[in-house]
Amino acid sequence: MAEFRLPAHSRYTEQPGQHHPAPAGATRVREFRIYRWNPDSGAKPRIDRYELDLDQCGPMVLDALLKIKNEIDPTLTFRRSCREGICGSCAMNIDGANTLACTCAISGIHGAVRIFPLPHLPVIKDLVPDLSHFYAQYAAVEPWLKTRTPPPPDRERLQAPEDQERVDRPSACILCACCSTSCPSYWWNSDRYLGPAALLAAWRWIVDTRDEAQGERLDALEDPFRLYRCHTIMNCTEACPKDLNPARAIADIKRRLSARGH
Amino acid sequence: MNLRSPLGAAMAHGSARSGTGHWRDQRLGAVALVPLGLWFLWALLTRPDLGHAGVVAWIAEPLTAVPLALFTLVALWHSLLGTAVIIEDYVHGHGLKAVSLVALRLVHGLAAAAAIVALVAIVGGGAG
Repeated sequence: MAEFRLPAHSRYTEQPGQHHPAPAGATRVREFRIYRWNPDSGAKPRIDRYELDLDQCGPMVLDALLKIKNEIDPTLTFRRSCREGICGSCAMNIDGANTLACTCAISGIHGAVRIFPLPHLPVIKDLVPDLSHFYAQYAAVEPWLKTRTPPPPDRERLQAPEDQERVDRPSACILCACCSTSCPSYWWNSDRYLGPAALLAAWRWIVDTRDEAQGERLDALEDPFRLYRCHTIMNCTEACPKDLNPARAIADIKRRLSARGH
Repeated sequence: MNLRSPLGAAMAHGSARSGTGHWRDQRLGAVALVPLGLWFLWALLTRPDLGHAGVVAWIAEPLTAVPLALFTLVALWHSLLGTAVIIEDYVHGHGLKAVSLVALRLVHGLAAAAAIVALVAIVGGGAG
């Protein structure tokens, strides 16, 4: 049967983890409950509690994580890079929803801020999930221009502005994995279902008028699992921190496949 | 120890080159069931006589038997497609999945055959 329970390293112990109280004199205290797991410790995952003075902290969840790592607990492990929503590194589950820590305002969260790694992926350590399979699925859709016609000798391949507009939105995907890891179909069948991120990338090349492999790309997607495990739940579109619409792209792929049958 | 590369695992099954017909039929069936289901509900609610003889006589009318046959067959077809997806979603053991899908087709096939035989019998006057 499908694995309904979370992977072993995603199930945390009910025993309280470490508690780091707010500094004396803190005026605006907010608690952060953060999933912790160290593969070297042999212990089960736990939830640590950190109390921060928001008057001494930046406004975003990533600011809080950096403050904790820099000033309270250097062992806290997470990915981050650009801190402005363009690299996708700091994707995690915050307050029950997948999003980017760098663009998620602490003020938008009510009560304690609960932070977990992206769901249903193997955890490497703390908030760092293993994205190897996710990236392999992206590579599997061959996300590059495929042509047989040689490029013109004197200029680049031309594209009409309106055609470029169709490519612009799906091109804005930053591969943070918020969408795929919010999808129940991906949770149960990620070994065979490509997931919304890879399918959005596939759609980006299917609609590219310069590409000459649309038919092959559609052939490769036409599969009960690769594509049709999508049941239009639309968590992907809800979760996307870049405001993209993978659900719409998947529906468009299905329509394109249906239309070529008659 | 599994030494297959992540890309090897992601590409492992290739494409079955199928699924579009299943997807399209499920949606066409859903659309067809809207008028057929509404008709069936309306017909039942407006029947003055829900006794056995009255209902059999009503089913024997061609204007009832034809949409009723359509409703039954489309509903069973739609049910087969939908429940097959549920099994594919949640049953991962290869043997159990294959047996479940075959059993599903058998049950729906039997139900369809029984419904058609019953309808033919009623229309032909062999029942009641």
